[in-house]
Amino acid sequence: MNRKLLTLIIALGLTSVVSAETIHTTVNGMVCAFCATGIEKTFRKQPEVDFVKVDLATKLVTIRTKPGKTLSDAKIKEVVTYSGYTMGKIVRER
Amino acid sequence: MKTKTFVNLVFITFASAFVTEGKPLSYVGGTMVMQENDETGHTLSLDYTFTPTEAFGIYIKQEENGKEILMLTPEINTLLKRWNLPDGQGNIFNMSGAGAAYLHGNTQPCLWTAFLADYESRRWFFSYEPRFVWDGDIEKSVWQRARIGFAPYLANYNDLNTWVMLQVDHHPAKHDHVVVTPLIRFFYKTYLFEVGYGSNQHIMFNWQIQF
Repeated sequence: MNRKLLTLIIALGLTSVVSAETIHTTVNGMVCAFCATGIEKTFRKQPEVDFVKVDLATKLVTIRTKPGKTLSDAKIKEVVTYSGYTMGKIVRER
Repeated sequence: MKTKTFVNLVFITFASAFVTEGKPLSYVGGTMVMQENDETGHTLSLDYTFTPTEAFGIYIKQEENGKEILMLTPEINTLLKRWNLPDGQGNIFNMSGAGAAYLHGNTQPCLWTAFLADYESRRWFFSYEPRFVWDGDIEKSVWQRARIGFAPYLANYNDLNTWVMLQVDHHPAKHDHVVVTPLIRFFYKTYLFEVGYGSNQHIMFNWQIQF
């Protein structure tokens, strides 16, 4: 019983280590499809990034990382700034 | 004659892609082709954005509605200032070029510079652009252009965006000093297309592609 519990804990721990992360950030200045394309393409160039979705209505950029990878707030800010825009609030979920 | 007509058609086709009133910069590593055909002539530009604030490319313009000057210059487009707002974006750009101008066998050095100020939200668009052109002893001219635009519906990233716009040009060196052009702009992701009809009964046709 104890062995099964231990295995479960280890498995859950490993899952959380290798799982992908979904990050949402608002972007000020993202008002048109040209803007959104620039942000989307710049995020897609990052090796940690698996998927990017932009929503002009909510000014929200959703980034899903590759399993076991993450993007720091500083890195996200760097990418948004490099694209020519200003980062807003960040929300993370696993 | 046929060859000349063909060359003109090819030029016009390409030139129409370059002078669209879109932004003169794309994303870093992006290439932008723009063409404009309006009462001032046919313009074509091809630019590569190499930093978040600078793009470099070529600019070709065949003037009409006055002296039919052909200009060929490299150009540099610079984002001087950007305001990123929660519901909008404001910019000031400079576009400049230096090269050669041709008119009836007369070749002259030429310089041009323009400033573009714009504000855009998902609903409204405003821009103003003064342009200064020096074509050696062929011509020296100043012109200005203003635009106001309204989006009848709020499109998202994957939708076709539609804008209804009004453009006013003032160019004293042309036969038609002031031209007012109502136009419709469509764009989908990185493809932009505009068509309008000017007060001088001239069809305006512009396009822009980023890749």
